[in-house]
Amino acid sequence: MSASGLVMNLRAIWARAYVRVVGANRELSWLFFDTFLPLLGTSAYVFIYKAMKAPPEFTGFVILGGAMTAYWLNVLWNMASQFYWEKEQGQLQLFLISPTSPMVILLGMALGGMFMTTIRAGSILILGSLIFRVQFTVQQPLLLALLFFLALAALYGLGMLFASLFMLYGREAWHLSNLLQEPVYLLSGLYFPVRGLGFWVAAAASVIPLTLGLDGIRQLAFGGAGWGFLAPEYELALLAFLSIVFIYFARRALRFMEELAKREGRLTLRWQ
Amino acid sequence: MAVSVSRRVREGFGAFRTATRLGWQIESNWADPLVFAIYSIIKPVAASLILVFMYLVITRGKAGTELFAYIYVGNAFYIFVGGVLFGISWAIIDDREHYEMLKYIYLSPIRIYIYLLGRGMARLFISAISVAIALSFGALLLKVPLRITAIDYPYLFAGLILGLGGVIALGIILAGVCLITARHSWGISESVAGAFYLLCGVVFPLDVLPRWAQAIGVVLPPTYWIEAMRRAALGEEVAGVSQVLGRFSNSSLLLVLLGTTAGLMFISHLFFRAAEGRARRRGLIDQRTDY
Amino acid sequence: MHPAIEVVKLKRLFRKKQARRSWRTVVALEEIDLEIQEGELFGVLGPNGAGKTTLIKILATLLLPTSGQAFVDGIDVVKDPRAVRRRINMVSGGEHSGYGILTVRETLWMFSQFYGVPGKVARERINELLRVVGLEEEANTRISRLSTGMRQKMNFARGFVSDPKIVFLDEPTLGLDVGAARDARNFIKSWVKDRPGKTVLLTTHYMTEAEELCDRVAIIDRGKILACDTPENLKRRVKKDSIFHLEVAGLDSWEGLHEIAGVKQLVSTPRDGFTELKFILDHEDVLPQLLGKITERGSRVLYMRKTEPTLEDVFIELVGRSLEVDTAER
Repeated sequence: MSASGLVMNLRAIWARAYVRVVGANRELSWLFFDTFLPLLGTSAYVFIYKAMKAPPEFTGFVILGGAMTAYWLNVLWNMASQFYWEKEQGQLQLFLISPTSPMVILLGMALGGMFMTTIRAGSILILGSLIFRVQFTVQQPLLLALLFFLALAALYGLGMLFASLFMLYGREAWHLSNLLQEPVYLLSGLYFPVRGLGFWVAAAASVIPLTLGLDGIRQLAFGGAGWGFLAPEYELALLAFLSIVFIYFARRALRFMEELAKREGRLTLRWQ
Repeated sequence: MAVSVSRRVREGFGAFRTATRLGWQIESNWADPLVFAIYSIIKPVAASLILVFMYLVITRGKAGTELFAYIYVGNAFYIFVGGVLFGISWAIIDDREHYEMLKYIYLSPIRIYIYLLGRGMARLFISAISVAIALSFGALLLKVPLRITAIDYPYLFAGLILGLGGVIALGIILAGVCLITARHSWGISESVAGAFYLLCGVVFPLDVLPRWAQAIGVVLPPTYWIEAMRRAALGEEVAGVSQVLGRFSNSSLLLVLLGTTAGLMFISHLFFRAAEGRARRRGLIDQRTDY
Repeated sequence: MHPAIEVVKLKRLFRKKQARRSWRTVVALEEIDLEIQEGELFGVLGPNGAGKTTLIKILATLLLPTSGQAFVDGIDVVKDPRAVRRRINMVSGGEHSGYGILTVRETLWMFSQFYGVPGKVARERINELLRVVGLEEEANTRISRLSTGMRQKMNFARGFVSDPKIVFLDEPTLGLDVGAARDARNFIKSWVKDRPGKTVLLTTHYMTEAEELCDRVAIIDRGKILACDTPENLKRRVKKDSIFHLEVAGLDSWEGLHEIAGVKQLVSTPRDGFTELKFILDHEDVLPQLLGKITERGSRVLYMRKTEPTLEDVFIELVGRSLEVDTAER
């Protein structure tokens, strides 16, 4: 990529992200619906464990899972499926005739969306930890931070891969997003240690970046006595691999689906 | 006058039927029936399995206890709440910003409640299938003590109708909220459903909540509804799991459900009217708020 | 030097669903050839469904042709869309995209950044465009609070915010009021004339717009280019003919009028209480016979005028239908 191309892409990322941040600040009703209520929803899972008289670290598992849910929902609905919305409202074609790539637009959406998402995740993490008195025993903070960022990189790569579907499809892909939501909650072990699924199911579920990311973060935040899936170092390496694979295939898939949609005349088709 | 009333009923029913058909078309036209069926199965089963694994991890593989059945059945019936809340409230956003039809719905003589209810019916129907699948899955594979012959059907249907009335009223409130706010995310109904999941003691006895949360829970109709569904499906013995709700007999539970649902319907009517007024004053009925 | 736009045997077919599992193929563009030079303001005139938007979508890299080639600034739109996108922008009339929660200025700024326009330049250009389209006062108004016309003006400004080398205007004045449409036309004209090297491809079904703006016009119908020349030369095709405009009351049918020797084309448009007829005649001598036939049917001629040829007449001669009727019917 040339220097001018890089500058242009950075400008585009900033512009699309800025729009998200400005939009969120202009109408603040989301603060209630996207931060306070999800905290209540996450708390429900804490109380299930309380009813079962589970060990205290499970409260922390749920809080971390609830916080990470915010990122999964941001990827699924505010980035990948957002392409559907953009297409339906006639914006997608305007993005595509600009010289920036769809990945740049998606990245801008993701970064802008992260403003809201991080507030949501942060409020669940901080308030949840305070309310339920979660005791963190953080080991290797650098490794923890790396795991978090690589999990997000792989997750957003997966989201971009998924977004490519919206180039061609409309409602079908939207429903696929809807369909994926709960199975991903289940398979990534958002509310219980993923090892509970059994080794092979957990191994298969590791293709979802949240699975390894969350498992590693939990081990490093609470000590992985007996319930961690893989050693955090292995999980970090696998997440690095997944990030590269997803971002590479997302790039290919976005190009491929754009071409296919252009051939079939569905790129600008609304109300599919 | 009588003619006019019957005509209005006929027209109202026609409008409801049209809105239901429209909702069904929008929800189902993207897939063939087989794919649609899979869709209806995967979501509820996955949601139920989350609880199953939470339980199994703690009890080290022991399912089939009374608490497990309590959690499982409550969760299964709660599928209705997410479905109906989404169906009714999303119709406002979808028709306003996507299909750009909300203003025309308002222009037509159809009552908006009837329209929203019709649009939400498709989700209600899909939810009903999902609930049935989740319950069957629990009975067949997870030793949840559900026996078709032991279910108290009159109680179940009475509770179901009242409970759904309450959920629809909640959906109308949320539709009012959508009418006056921007489309920030797709999951507003999910967030609201999540909050009720906590406050109504859907998957744990209300007793484990702190007192302030219990105080909110006991005025919300879904609390009594879910408890009634559990008693209808699992028998009156399940009443012993929660001390807070255990003091209500089956009939008094229905009575409280009736009272709280009626109250909620009244509040939802007032709220929606107020939201509608605000939307009309501020010109929000055909706004586009995406970003 | 290569042309700004070159189209060679460009064809696009679409499959349209008729019934369950039954499809039919629709020809949107049928092997068209076109060459537009740099600095030209080129018009594509045709009714709805003629293939104008399909042509623009292919050139704007949003649609692939079924066969044939298209080049924008010498670059193949199929092989290197990204390079084409650096040079173009597009405005579609009647379009009202945009994030409702953003202001007009924020929206224009966002799009300028997608083209890598430096901040200061973007700000100056946005101010200039807002002035030109008359949206200065609404610069900080949220899009959701704009009227349809204002939103379209903003969309029009968006098309120029990147200062593209080539701009595609697809029915750019559709839905604008008379004054706004005139301002938009003036802007398009001066944008091309004042900036050497800029090219505009404009599609329209308003013949006056094509006539007023365009250096050259292609008349397109059902995916085929029927004629392509300067408006003057096109009109010259019907100059030797006599064109009469009549308003007739009580005309139930105009059957038979076509068959009169010397009547080249006849188009009828029903109006409120009368019928508007447009005749293209080989020579004026046919007129008495024609009027005789009309009055024989008990009809009354309310008004008659001989008119100078317009692009509409050229369209009628080429297609046998009026652009106005055709557009309304489709």
